[in-house]
Amino acid sequence: MNLAEQLPVLPVIIPLVAAPITLLLPQGRAPHLWATLISWLTFAVSIALVAMVSDAGVISYHLGDWAPPLGIEYRIDMANALVLALVSGIGAVVFAFAYRSVEREVDPRQSTFFYCAMLICLTGLMGVTITGDAFNIFVFLEISSLSTYALIAMGAKSDRRALTAAFNYLVMGTIGATFFVIGIGLLYQATGTLNLADLHDRLAGQSNRMVEAGFAFIVVGIGLKLAMFPLHLWLPNAYTYAPSAVSAFIAATATKVAVYVLIRFFYSVFGFDFAFVGHAFTYVLLPLGLAGMFIASLVALFQDDVKRMLAYSSVAQIGYMLLGLSFATVEGLTASLVHILNHALMKGALFMAVACVVFRTGSHSIQAFAGLAKRMPVTTWAFILSGLSLIGVPLTVGFISKWYLLTAAFAAGHGYAAFLIVASSLIAMVYIGRVAEMMLLREPPSEGPYAAAKEAPMSMLIPMWVLVAANIYFGVRTDLTGDLAVRAAEALMLVAGGAP
Amino acid sequence: MSASSIFAFFAGNPAIIMMVGALMCIATPRHLASPILLIATALSAIKLSTLGLGEYGAITLFGEQIVTLRLDRLSRLFAIAFHIAAALNIIYAWGQKDRAQNFATLAYPAAALGGVLAGDMITLFVWWEIAAITSVFLVWAPGTRATYVSGMRYLAIQVLSGVLLLAGIVLIYRETGSLAFDFVGLRDDATGAIKLSALVMFLAFGIKCAFPLLHTWVQDAYPKSTISGTIILSVFTTKLAVYALARAFPGTSELIYIGAVMTIFPIFFALIENDLRKVLTYSINNQVGFMVVGIGIGTAGALNGAVGYAFSNIIFESLLFMAVGAAMFRTGTSKATELGGLYRTMPLTMTFCIIGALSISAFPFFAGFVTKGLIVDGAGGVNIWVWLTLLFASAGVLEHAGIKIPYFTFFGHDSGKRPKEAPIGMLVAMSIAAVLSIGIGVFPEPLYALLPNQEQIAGYNPYTAYHIIEQLQLLLWAVLAFAVLVLIKWYPPEIPSTNLDVDWLWRVPGRALLSWASGASRATWNALWGIFAGRIHALMARIYAMHGPEGQMARSWPVGYMALWTAVLLGFVLILSFLG
Repeated sequence: MNLAEQLPVLPVIIPLVAAPITLLLPQGRAPHLWATLISWLTFAVSIALVAMVSDAGVISYHLGDWAPPLGIEYRIDMANALVLALVSGIGAVVFAFAYRSVEREVDPRQSTFFYCAMLICLTGLMGVTITGDAFNIFVFLEISSLSTYALIAMGAKSDRRALTAAFNYLVMGTIGATFFVIGIGLLYQATGTLNLADLHDRLAGQSNRMVEAGFAFIVVGIGLKLAMFPLHLWLPNAYTYAPSAVSAFIAATATKVAVYVLIRFFYSVFGFDFAFVGHAFTYVLLPLGLAGMFIASLVALFQDDVKRMLAYSSVAQIGYMLLGLSFATVEGLTASLVHILNHALMKGALFMAVACVVFRTGSHSIQAFAGLAKRMPVTTWAFILSGLSLIGVPLTVGFISKWYLLTAAFAAGHGYAAFLIVASSLIAMVYIGRVAEMMLLREPPSEGPYAAAKEAPMSMLIPMWVLVAANIYFGVRTDLTGDLAVRAAEALMLVAGGAP
Repeated sequence: MSASSIFAFFAGNPAIIMMVGALMCIATPRHLASPILLIATALSAIKLSTLGLGEYGAITLFGEQIVTLRLDRLSRLFAIAFHIAAALNIIYAWGQKDRAQNFATLAYPAAALGGVLAGDMITLFVWWEIAAITSVFLVWAPGTRATYVSGMRYLAIQVLSGVLLLAGIVLIYRETGSLAFDFVGLRDDATGAIKLSALVMFLAFGIKCAFPLLHTWVQDAYPKSTISGTIILSVFTTKLAVYALARAFPGTSELIYIGAVMTIFPIFFALIENDLRKVLTYSINNQVGFMVVGIGIGTAGALNGAVGYAFSNIIFESLLFMAVGAAMFRTGTSKATELGGLYRTMPLTMTFCIIGALSISAFPFFAGFVTKGLIVDGAGGVNIWVWLTLLFASAGVLEHAGIKIPYFTFFGHDSGKRPKEAPIGMLVAMSIAAVLSIGIGVFPEPLYALLPNQEQIAGYNPYTAYHIIEQLQLLLWAVLAFAVLVLIKWYPPEIPSTNLDVDWLWRVPGRALLSWASGASRATWNALWGIFAGRIHALMARIYAMHGPEGQMARSWPVGYMALWTAVLLGFVLILSFLG
């Protein structure tokens, strides 16, 4: 048994084992350093996995050497290798970033638990992505969700509303998970298997009430987890009142992983042979994606709380992803996958910039941003550059996403959708512009609670700028993400049985 | 891509060399800015001269080969003109200390240059947007509230043009599968119907080209900039659009009529305008109109004329702006009523200004003459009305730019101002431009050798008796008309209020008519806008009620409602699946 053979299990095992160890460490810097180290290690393993998949194709790892479909299988193809790299990459950056922010926003008695919960959350997200077993997805989804509820509640030190936000999310998240597990149960009854690949084979031709109901439960359950409009109602409060580092981490990863799961079920488990898959694309994902793009963007326009604004913007961006995958073409799926990666980069950077502002001013109200270009220029420019990326300006990753989406929309014959995509980008320009105007053109306050703001510490600036730089780098080197995403999309299409 | 090949890729593009120069002067001491800018322009020009005609800087994007640098006869002509204009502006504003303005002084020309050299539509789009963003710093440069607001309006329109361009690019890419920036054509060859993709792109170019009704941003933003800022702005955006039209839409007959309207309508506005810089911005529209007509005609000769005229126009239009700018620099105003009689103390500037005026009026042996004939001849081949329009417009150019500008600045009534001659940097820049204006007029062959259609231009001689007589007749009648107008008003030369008399003629009756027309159209517009604005307000109020912080869409809903929504959606998906 050599290390390379065991590589696929490491991204889950490393943070899982490391999480309880965190609790044994003394309070202070140690838990943070430990968690950061672990997140970097996980990221390194994930990159190695991407390289392996890129060379060797699909990797199948049998847990405990039990052969699938009875045993649990970790199955890594290009699509989930990319999401793994993304989740662990964001983790590596946010963990490094978190220390000062957490010091300020979380009760110091809880800081050890905080890093423990973050590692558990990372474990869950990695597990959901990597596994090839339906029930395993449910388990990992719950692992990540439960730790997220706790993490959001830790925002209570700054704002007690974090507690109700966490409670609401707990109720909604549990409903989502329950629906999902009911769906899996129904599929299990119909087929007698839980392995995703096996499910796909055995479902072929079985269009009965049981499968149809299972499908509906899974779509709605995951739809709740990924905050599909109008099931997004838990998200704005959760992102707003969570500690800033948590907002940055879950905004960039949790919903993306859920979108990945949705893609996996649509394309790898059900496939296009089922008429209801097409119906769900046309009558659920497409209209709800479009509605989310617009309604959430408009809501974001009027928010006076920047974190809340970004939260609504996330709901709108999820609309883009749903739109892309609802086209059921290689182009659309590529657009969706690319946007999963790119949106994580820009939203992560934006939430980190807000975290820096919160660190210095104690507030995420838009008033706290007045004149920050003079007081916190480095943070200001990080916010503006990532904001430009969110709008979709060329030379940033946002443009790449928009380009793929637009071409996909035209290719699928949805020209009006292309128009709506551009229009909703213009709304994004306005709401980012509002904050930018506040930072660049207003005079900084000379008195009051925000007067003492100065540049954020290096430990926060460096990780944030790593992410900003990634926004630019991947915006120029389109071949890296674009080509891998096209390969992932083509492979998924092949299994789904659609015209490639 | 290795590090050295990346370097070669960037250093191989003149536009990027210029852009680096512009960026450098942000970080270096202020007094080094002008030399750095000029050196960067020179390096870029050297790079351009060493590149032979061909395609460079190919990279692969989205699996498509794109060509970031294409040098053919058409793009080279504009590239050379842009270098000359950039260098003139740097010399004119020598010693300028404002960092933002110094940056924009070269970054904006660099972006326009990059756009002209772009071989594919993506590169064009990127430079197109950079040009929009860098140029707005020039509008903002005076730093007042008015310039800020007008700069925002300017930026909004330019970005709109960019968005339209992107939409057009995506649509064309869908149709043709190619990203290369070549002939597009407004109409489908087979059916003759207007293509949506081409129309969107056409509108994007039209905004930057200041087509009638899309032109207001020019008069809104340009005259509000600083002295040197206005000169720079006057050159690049519209000429980049002219280039793009010449590339993608030559021979589009709609352009003939659009261009003809462009040559006529600014004349009336220019005649009643008091601010001489604003007069010159109207003359930009008028001049670009001639080029647009030439592109619309689309024959080899007319195209040569259009782009050749663009080349010389860049020089003499700058010259006029520079002369008025010099007067403004010394007196602090560009208002016709506050200027006058400056010839006593600014004789050199006056001479340069008259050279610019003669050039723009297309007097023989000045730059305008040698290429304008090509356009007007081409128009004769379309129909008599277009030809007459252009002739009338040519006379109008003489009235508003050729006579009005030098007359009110340097002659006219004596304002009593006795400013010093313009500073040395301005004089040097103006003298270079003046020499070029006369040089092109007397020795047109080097310019002809640069034109795109060499077969057509080979045997062309602008100095035939017919051309000279036609043009002189036109010009002399126009001068006569001016003189008669002055005479009818019992023009007494020794009374300094003369120009108010002359003024009166085109101010009082002309303005009465115009203000009636504008009042009527304003009333109509207000009525229409009132209805529209009312709707918009109501719509915004409704959007706010729905989406504002207290709106239904933004409220924090109790958890029960969230669960209810989930149930509703589940029911919907279930029914949908069962039906399927």
